[in-house]
Amino acid sequence: MKKLGVFICHCGVNIAGTVDVKRVAEEIGRTEDVCHSVDYIYMCSEPGQQLIREAIQEKRLDGVVVACCSPSMHENTFRKAVKTAGMNPYLCEIANIREQCSWVHQKEKEEATRKALQIIQATLEKVRRNEKLEPLAMSLHRNVLVIGGGIAGMTASLDLAQGGYEVILVEKSPALGGHMAQLSKTFPELSPAFPGLLAKASEIEAHPKIELFCYSEVEEVKGYIGNFEIGLRKKTTYVDWTRCNGCGLCIEVCPIEYPSPFERGLGVRKAIDFLYPHCIPRRVFLSSTQCPYFKDRSCGRCAEVCPQRAIQFDQKEEKIERKVGAIVVATGFDLFPNEKLGEYGYGEIPDVIDGLTFERMLSPDGPTRGRIQRPSDGRVPKEMVFIQCVASRDPDRYMPYCSRICCMYTAKQATIYKKQVPDGQPYVFYMDIRSDGKGYEEFLQKTIEENGILYLRGRVSRIFQEDGKVKVWGVDTLTGKRVEIGADLVVLATAIIPSEGVKELASKLRATVDKHGFLTEAHIKLYPVESSTRGIYLAGCGQGPKDITDTVSQASATASKIQALLSTDKLFQDPLIAYVDETICSGCGICVEICPYEAREMDLRRGISVVHSALCQGCGACIAACPNFACELRNSSSIQTLRMVDTFI
Amino acid sequence: MGGENKIEMGTSENGFIKRAMVIGGGIAGITASIDIGNAGYEVLLIERLPSIGGHMLQLSETFPTLDCAQCTLTPKTVETGQHPRIRLHTYSEVVRVAGRAGNFSVQIRKKAAYVDWEKCTGCGLCQQKCPSRYPSEFDRRMGLGKAIYTLSPQAVPNKPVINPEHCRYFLEKKCRVCEKICPVGAIHYQQEDRLIEEKVGAIVVATGFDLMPVERFGEYGYGEIPDVIDGLSFERLNSASGPTNGEIRRPSDGRIPKEVVFIQCTGSRDPERYMPYCSRVCCMYTAKHARLYKHKVHDGQVYIFYMDIRSTGKGYEEFIQQTMEEGILYLRGRVSRIFREGEKIVVWGVDTLTGKKVEVLADLVVLATAIVPHQETKTLAQILGIHSDSYGFLTEAERKLKPVETNQEGIYLAGCAQGPKDIAETVAHANAAASKVQALFATH
Repeated sequence: MKKLGVFICHCGVNIAGTVDVKRVAEEIGRTEDVCHSVDYIYMCSEPGQQLIREAIQEKRLDGVVVACCSPSMHENTFRKAVKTAGMNPYLCEIANIREQCSWVHQKEKEEATRKALQIIQATLEKVRRNEKLEPLAMSLHRNVLVIGGGIAGMTASLDLAQGGYEVILVEKSPALGGHMAQLSKTFPELSPAFPGLLAKASEIEAHPKIELFCYSEVEEVKGYIGNFEIGLRKKTTYVDWTRCNGCGLCIEVCPIEYPSPFERGLGVRKAIDFLYPHCIPRRVFLSSTQCPYFKDRSCGRCAEVCPQRAIQFDQKEEKIERKVGAIVVATGFDLFPNEKLGEYGYGEIPDVIDGLTFERMLSPDGPTRGRIQRPSDGRVPKEMVFIQCVASRDPDRYMPYCSRICCMYTAKQATIYKKQVPDGQPYVFYMDIRSDGKGYEEFLQKTIEENGILYLRGRVSRIFQEDGKVKVWGVDTLTGKRVEIGADLVVLATAIIPSEGVKELASKLRATVDKHGFLTEAHIKLYPVESSTRGIYLAGCGQGPKDITDTVSQASATASKIQALLSTDKLFQDPLIAYVDETICSGCGICVEICPYEAREMDLRRGISVVHSALCQGCGACIAACPNFACELRNSSSIQTLRMVDTFI
Repeated sequence: MGGENKIEMGTSENGFIKRAMVIGGGIAGITASIDIGNAGYEVLLIERLPSIGGHMLQLSETFPTLDCAQCTLTPKTVETGQHPRIRLHTYSEVVRVAGRAGNFSVQIRKKAAYVDWEKCTGCGLCQQKCPSRYPSEFDRRMGLGKAIYTLSPQAVPNKPVINPEHCRYFLEKKCRVCEKICPVGAIHYQQEDRLIEEKVGAIVVATGFDLMPVERFGEYGYGEIPDVIDGLSFERLNSASGPTNGEIRRPSDGRIPKEVVFIQCTGSRDPERYMPYCSRVCCMYTAKHARLYKHKVHDGQVYIFYMDIRSTGKGYEEFIQQTMEEGILYLRGRVSRIFREGEKIVVWGVDTLTGKKVEVLADLVVLATAIVPHQETKTLAQILGIHSDSYGFLTEAERKLKPVETNQEGIYLAGCAQGPKDIAETVAHANAAASKVQALFATH
């Protein structure tokens, strides 16, 4: 007979306030094979753990049940504790008498005490048949895939490369920089956004540890932490980038101009052009939908003029395969599509634009060289209206969440406008002013006081065109009065949403997203950069709206987690996984179909199903599905489960 | 626990010391230490209090999930204490730092605990028997502590210290109960502060925050009216391990308050009188307080005075919406006067949305006071030769792209010492500091 020990935690009053812990310890102590049963105020405390260690050594226990909080809290603590006392950690089990008992039965003390007894008895049944197990060791690839070449992905890549790890950086557009490359200045210091970004991009381009794939996308992800297999698709630029030297002659001769998506429609690009001036890598790409060569083979001037013979009209997509140990998802954000915001006159009124479009207008490199002018007629706007929370904080119609950065960039934009047009009048419609970063509140106060920006607390009800003006109707909720402004230009601070395609990517990665499409972190407080899938980490706005500072912190944070992960050459995983009784398995293959982790495979030679131990998450789906009872879960066998159920009925 | 186990120091061929010192044992310092330790480097974790955990250990629940704060934190404190590469120096302060990245010489003062921690087993008998009781700082002076104490029953390390200001032996040369009761003879009244020297290659500063001292808020009746408390005090009142075992009772008479007023931006966003900046966490913790109160006192009424509601984090706006739906009254405006009338506290304010004056007769008033850097941060900044701003927050190397670096190579920032932030942001910031340390060590 085994000698078992039971340790009952009071958790202060969290358990002991409801469950009669003394009685539980006493009654459990009368069980035949329980030779030690005690209670203590906090088992997780150092003296509590010491009680366990001493009992194991003195009474030579060969199984321990700790009745306390959920195993997600302290299972690790207690398994480590029993291990230091010489016991196999998998002989220690948690009986959850807090979340599943005392917390939910606070008013029924007697019943709660009885339920606690049953939970402990059931857990004892499990421990009686637990085997000694050893963690599974796996080898790992000590390199990283970073998805997204905005400031988040760039920061994570540089941190990792500086830490000595090889990085594969994949960006879907033809150049680095992401949305930050579109910005004019950053708040609260109004310093130009581009130089710092450019320095980082140059560093990445030159870094021997970083392999950069621009205009590329992740097609396929297989494997698991430490051992991911990645399939990349390199899209066609129709330019051989190993030859192109960025001289720009092709751009000069290209006859086709069309609205540039990077310039948010304010400027034009040629059919062959850079993504934006001074972009890195400094390479051109060709738009096959715009280029006349692809319509009717007319033109071809770029190919004629290129001194490097880099133009390749017949270029094909390339597939690239890599193996990596960890993945950073830094896919960033988009703005809420303006077409959906009809009531703000968007699309219909040319002088209603969004925040990112205004950034392009303010940029010295932008289509107006930084001059603020109305898209409709090029006039300098004398009255400007900024509207915050467009599609944010609007649960009935659009997004319920706050987009976090709009208050600050609106204040910044209004300030820059006022500096450029001193006799102009900016108005800002807002709901609450949210300036909660370092120096932000001060910036906002200064902005309002020094620049005479008129803040109006309220939503806008209607926007329409009249006499060459954009009429804005709204309410000032502080005075309760209706407001009517005849504006020359209206800027909408539209909601931040996850960038396109994140949902598809997340399903390839087996990472979870919330209902808005933002990637979900493992724990909102303590694991903000870990995803729900081990080995996959989250940086930047793909996880939720944030400003550049917070994005950079979070990106560096992913690099810290990965450096720690890859600092050893072996990974260890809990061995609580499925196994197959080869003498019973008939090779029907039901388990292979049902496994959600692709951890089951047919061994065709032997005609049986096998478990891929690194992929198995111990979910138990195959055990339930197996018609022959050939599958079992380590330390959760059918007999253990049935015995546990028996204690309750 | 980490104890004094010997750790071999990693040094590269050129003499660059690959060992980090983390100053501050709150959630920021704990996070940074675990990350650096997990990467294979040794860490010295310095904490000025007797045990690690910081302010997070004082919190009852965390927003927006209303998870129990201790429950999420104690696995981390235990992990830190058991970590083979982290050595704790609690009840310790950094006195002097010389040198540069890769080779800092550090002098640390280990304060006299009057308990020999090598001998102490943490049995707790001394605390049980100590006859001297006085208001506990950890419980924001609402509960009583002993002269020989640990901060909590789950303290890491679980070793007590004697507060000589309250110990009868130190005051009157009497008592000595703890000495008599200690089964291992660990009480050591003659113990003195000890200075030790250490060598480290990188430093993370994670000294955290304080709340602005409430004595400065005379106009809110603080000090004069016992039932005007601050946010951290409300956390203790609401905490199952707090002085009221989690029952919300007002300090003056122990009654359950039926009308509670929360006042945000107390000392924040007030450039003329107090701090011009926003303290970032108050909007959310006030909403959390209001909800936790409503969950416990169903017929209670909550009023929240606010300036702007700032709920910018993930899931925060939705949390505020739910809070409003639970019948909590948000009033946009500042409070002009608070005074006592009988058993009630009268709160005068203005609702700027209706333009009308508001008067609430409250049983309890909770002030969301400004977050300020911990008082010793400025001195520490001087010792380290790093910059701080006029409020004492430590200055990052560059606002946008270098949020954890400082003007000194090898010295990094984590958490609220750099500026107010919530737990999730603090953790990411601390991870980021750890990343920089790892990269620094990897390149040398």
